[in-house]
Amino acid sequence: MELKKLDKSVLKLWYARTSIVALALIGVLASILVIMAATGASTDAMLIVLCVLGIPDFLLVCIILIMPALRYKMYAWGYDDKRIIVKQGVIFRRRVVIPVCQIQDLHRTQGPLMMMLKLSGVTISTAGSNFEISTLTTDEADRMIDELEHNLEIRVGEQKNEKI
Amino acid sequence: MKRFDKGYIYSALLSDLFGSIMIFFLFFEEIFFDESINTENIISAIPFFVIALLVIYLCFIAYRIAYYKTSGYELTETEIKCKRGVFFTKRSVLDYKKIHAINKKQNLLQRIFGIALLTVDSGSTNTSHQAEIIIIEKDKTVDALLNELNALKETGERSMADESATEEVLLSENDSLFHFTSKRKILHTLINVASIAFCTGLFGILAIAVIGVCKLMLEQNFLGTWGQYFLFATLITLGAMLLLSAFSFIGNMIRLFIGYHNFTITKHGNEIRISFGLLEKHTNTFSYDRIKAVKISQGLIERILGFASIHLEVIGYTYEAGSNNVELGVLVPFCKYSEINEILEKVLPEYTPDEKQTKAAAFFPFVSWFLLIEGIVTGATLIFAVTMMAIFHLSLSVIATVVCSVIGLGLLILIIKLLSAVLSYQINGLAINNGKITVYSGGFTKRVTVLMTKNLIAVANVTTPLRKKAGITSLVMHLKTNAQSNEVTVHIQDDTLTDKLENLLIS
Repeated sequence: MELKKLDKSVLKLWYARTSIVALALIGVLASILVIMAATGASTDAMLIVLCVLGIPDFLLVCIILIMPALRYKMYAWGYDDKRIIVKQGVIFRRRVVIPVCQIQDLHRTQGPLMMMLKLSGVTISTAGSNFEISTLTTDEADRMIDELEHNLEIRVGEQKNEKI
Repeated sequence: MKRFDKGYIYSALLSDLFGSIMIFFLFFEEIFFDESINTENIISAIPFFVIALLVIYLCFIAYRIAYYKTSGYELTETEIKCKRGVFFTKRSVLDYKKIHAINKKQNLLQRIFGIALLTVDSGSTNTSHQAEIIIIEKDKTVDALLNELNALKETGERSMADESATEEVLLSENDSLFHFTSKRKILHTLINVASIAFCTGLFGILAIAVIGVCKLMLEQNFLGTWGQYFLFATLITLGAMLLLSAFSFIGNMIRLFIGYHNFTITKHGNEIRISFGLLEKHTNTFSYDRIKAVKISQGLIERILGFASIHLEVIGYTYEAGSNNVELGVLVPFCKYSEINEILEKVLPEYTPDEKQTKAAAFFPFVSWFLLIEGIVTGATLIFAVTMMAIFHLSLSVIATVVCSVIGLGLLILIIKLLSAVLSYQINGLAINNGKITVYSGGFTKRVTVLMTKNLIAVANVTTPLRKKAGITSLVMHLKTNAQSNEVTVHIQDDTLTDKLENLLIS
């Protein structure tokens, strides 16, 4: 089965989310420094805080900003009449195979940012675990849910015949 | 609709009386034990306290009577109906065919009043935190209902004519397929205590190192009184750990001798019935087709001495949220590892574990990431500590002691991890035979999970670029059971196993 890459707009969403986190981290560090300056802390103390918090903060911000691109590069998904495959992960790469006949429910979810970018998340519920296909375009998500429903009906029918 | 037995009101009210007294004392504890308050004042206030206690208790009485009047159950031709609750009433209807687990419970007060609690569950994940149907009846009626419902579960329909047909079930240790003897209970307790003593010992070694550093800090007056605080904190924690060992011994003895009193496993047609308990009597019934996996686990000391425990993985009602009732899924609480096949042959022959067919493909991946992370953390800690001590112009001997302590601690953690990795390397493996998968996993605790391929929901393989090149992967198998316990991972296996498992999953 040939696996598909995510739509380019997904990268925009991930960057928007990570930028918010990065800004929050920078904001916390800046606030600490401003409070220290306002309370008349010595330059040495501020330098120590900058070193102790600033270096990990900077590294964290760098990682946060690089991650979406790497995650996007590694993410792939696909399905046929028998299975759904999701590949993800940057360092630890995870490939999940879910048989279509094990699907219990399919859910499509959208947050405000996703709505703006016309994207949707899909959750596949089975009798044991829930699996997520991180973000698809809303059209893709709808098509996938329809086709999986159809495949599920066929597969369940096939299995009933096999048992008979 | 038939009401619950009246014994419910009496046992609940007696339990509430203890509860009310406890609540009362908790609220007024300070007044009774405060020496600054005049005794005469307390005596004059006693009538008010008694009235307060009476008011609290009257509320309980009203609630229990209202609960009795508004609750009940009914066995119709095809389903069981139950109504309960005062402020929030709940009506449940469950088809006989959809019954998943029937359990009987009885605490000490209920035993005194001759009543028991019967819980009937459908196995739905939405209601896995509590049973859908609860019936409080006379002990013998509950036994009869348990048998009747077990029979109805198969047939799906109830003949209204034989409504009075009841059969008393008497379970004794002689009928049991497994005997949990006093000798085993004492051994189990000793092993549990030995495990805690081992952890305490390990912590003790760490504490000695920390105390040494604290002493030096005090001698050098480094960080002022902080050194003293560290010393106190370490000593208090060490004392607490020793106390924990003592409590654990007592707790284990009580749990095993009272909790597992008269432990019996019996087979009734298509189901297993597990019964145990002295103060609270449990009778858990599981249909064979609802059992999704059998889990055998061995802690390190149990492994050295050759013992193990067996648990059942059943959809739905094996986990009660908040109650920490782990006994619900227990099949054999403690047995010799060599006896497992014999026990399972008797109880669940199809779940007998197979010998390992594969083993871990390499040793280094078990420790590679840990080495990297521990190296970074230890290095960063050393650099930070040495820099700070240099800024505060501490003597060379202090710096050397701290460096040695950090390196020593790092080495100790590394040794523990290496030991765990060696065990994982030896344990991890897989066996696939005739629709049955046996997964060997774990490190210090060895776990053997036996499951049927039909109960496999999904397979995930986890690898890194380097591992992929070497053709090794870790496999995560998702089972058809509760989300809390539905993943089994086997580490560092040959990559070809992924295709084999995926084919099993799809076929």
